[in-house]
Amino acid sequence: MGKNFDSKEIILNVENLNTTFVSDQKKIRIVKNVSFQLKRGKALAVVGESGCGKSVTMNSIMRFLGRNAIIKADSIQYNALRDGKVTEYHIEKIDKPHGPEMRALRGPEMSMVFQDPMSSLNPVYKVGDQVAEGLLQHNKGMTKAQAREKVLEMFRKLGIPDPEERIDCYPHQFSGGMKQRVVIAIAMICNPELIICDEPTTALDVTIQAQIMELLKDMQVKDGKSIILITHNMGLVAEMADEVCVMYMGRVVEFGSLEDVFDHTSHPYTQALLRSVPVLGLADGQKLETIPGATPNPADLKGGCEFADRCPFAEDKCRAKDIPMFELSPGHRVRCLKYSSFPLAEGEPAAAEVK
Amino acid sequence: MLKFILKKLAMMIPMLVVISLVVFLGLRSTGIDPLTFMVPPEVQSQSPEIVEQLREDLGLNDPLLVQYFRWLGNLLKGDLGLTNKGEDIAGIIADRLPYTLELSLYAMLFSSIIGIGIGIISAIRQNGIVDYIGRVLAVLGQAVPQFLVGILMIWIFSIKMGIFPAANRVSPDATNAFVDAFMHLFLPVTTLTIGMVAVLMRYARNTMLDVLNSDYIKTARSKGIPEWKVYLKHGFRNAMKPVLVILMFRIPALIGGSVVIESVFSYPGIGTSMTNAITNMDYNLVLVITLIIAAVMLVASFMVDVLNALLDPRVRLGE
Repeated sequence: MGKNFDSKEIILNVENLNTTFVSDQKKIRIVKNVSFQLKRGKALAVVGESGCGKSVTMNSIMRFLGRNAIIKADSIQYNALRDGKVTEYHIEKIDKPHGPEMRALRGPEMSMVFQDPMSSLNPVYKVGDQVAEGLLQHNKGMTKAQAREKVLEMFRKLGIPDPEERIDCYPHQFSGGMKQRVVIAIAMICNPELIICDEPTTALDVTIQAQIMELLKDMQVKDGKSIILITHNMGLVAEMADEVCVMYMGRVVEFGSLEDVFDHTSHPYTQALLRSVPVLGLADGQKLETIPGATPNPADLKGGCEFADRCPFAEDKCRAKDIPMFELSPGHRVRCLKYSSFPLAEGEPAAAEVK
Repeated sequence: MLKFILKKLAMMIPMLVVISLVVFLGLRSTGIDPLTFMVPPEVQSQSPEIVEQLREDLGLNDPLLVQYFRWLGNLLKGDLGLTNKGEDIAGIIADRLPYTLELSLYAMLFSSIIGIGIGIISAIRQNGIVDYIGRVLAVLGQAVPQFLVGILMIWIFSIKMGIFPAANRVSPDATNAFVDAFMHLFLPVTTLTIGMVAVLMRYARNTMLDVLNSDYIKTARSKGIPEWKVYLKHGFRNAMKPVLVILMFRIPALIGGSVVIESVFSYPGIGTSMTNAITNMDYNLVLVITLIIAAVMLVASFMVDVLNALLDPRVRLGE
């Protein structure tokens, strides 16, 4: 694949990522030809219903998946920018998921904030030590006292009250929102450029959600971090994201700027998704719209558009073969035959189906 | 932490008293006359007045509770009483308990090292070769009864190959105490170890697998720390809590339950004493041994509490 982007501008470039899980000798492709780019200092929201492969995509990039996952990609390129100098990392070429090359990236370059703060912290260690662990790992020669000072600084920045006292507490002594701040502290402590947030507020109550999202937004705006936000909360997307990536059954079905996706919603799935967002003040008797049908079992998919069976516009040709991406306007891409008069955005059709 | 330990220790005393009362009353309520086995049958039939006199002298006509407290008082003074044959029980226990402890502690030591070790490796390399071999061994180890393993051991290593002695703990002609101990302990310890390894291996593997699938392992990996640290620091410590419970509760089972193994190897431990005491209806001895096993059980559960508190701050700080 030729490099057709500026690695100073683009922090993460993913091309044709395919993730296949092997279970009982059967191979099921969960992530299919996913390509996207994340601009430096911007926030990209990845949306889609449960099981659409958004978490698997991010875990494939971070190489967190188990031994039963096969990850293939033309490119997963991470471009670090330090002191005006760009260093390129080709994650797709790294063999060992937990080897030294990958580990060197995790923490100082890219990190992850997880969904459930209740279970993301090790119950038997003090929160301060858990935050300091990454710091000590990546800064050889740093003393524990120095690390502690850094952790305290981070706690203050993240608004954890009484940091001097709280740093020696155990996770069970923290509330959910405070735990998530600790998880964010773990992700932030080595000052990474790219932060992947996997539904960071799903497990928290609404008021806390707002606080956590504000923290993340601050990090992006003030510290220039690049953020990938996985979520199915459209409100969060509207508030946080610069660009939106809509996924359905392992494929990117629509990708574009926030305005593109929200104001010029093009894919029938995205349209349905936006219609099913609950709004306050629904009239009496007015029902919240839902998407008809259920998500298909990934093992039963035949080819063609995955959304065809639930799509009001579906035609026979939709089921015939894999649908390519069409470019509606610069940067706004949609995987739907309704737009087949637009130029092809990606070199489809897809790679051979995995059996 | 100290307060926690003291509290747990203090709670053991009333529990021991209650257990001793239950055992005492339970044994007495079987309705078997303690004198049946103490006095030869011909004396019993020819001169019942001697039996009655003895009964009066031993205080067996007093109410049960009075007898219990008298026995308990003696116990606290260090007088464990006499067997039917008039031997000093304290002497028997002092003789035999060390042998049983020796046997069980070695079995514990080896089985925990081997069992937990293989279990952890099986979990880390799930479906790897160690895992497969371990799983087969675990099924075998649990399915084959211990006495059979013991008998097979004797048959192979003592009778056929003649390497190890088949019985006893001490050889009369031993020159080197250490070599002698090793020779006598090898077969029974191995037999006990095999059975326990099977249990521990499976348990350690499953809890470790659970832990390795948990979210905080992913958090640990996201820090970029090496895998061995992920496994040992974050995985092992959390996986060990339930394994330690199983391990600690094996101690009383080993001490009381190596009866079968001790019989197979004619090993002079507390288990053989217990079987003999039961067949002879030796009230006092059964009582004391039962109490020892109960005490060991309490100590084990105390250790579980303390270890759990050490390993898990939620237990420690939740006092």
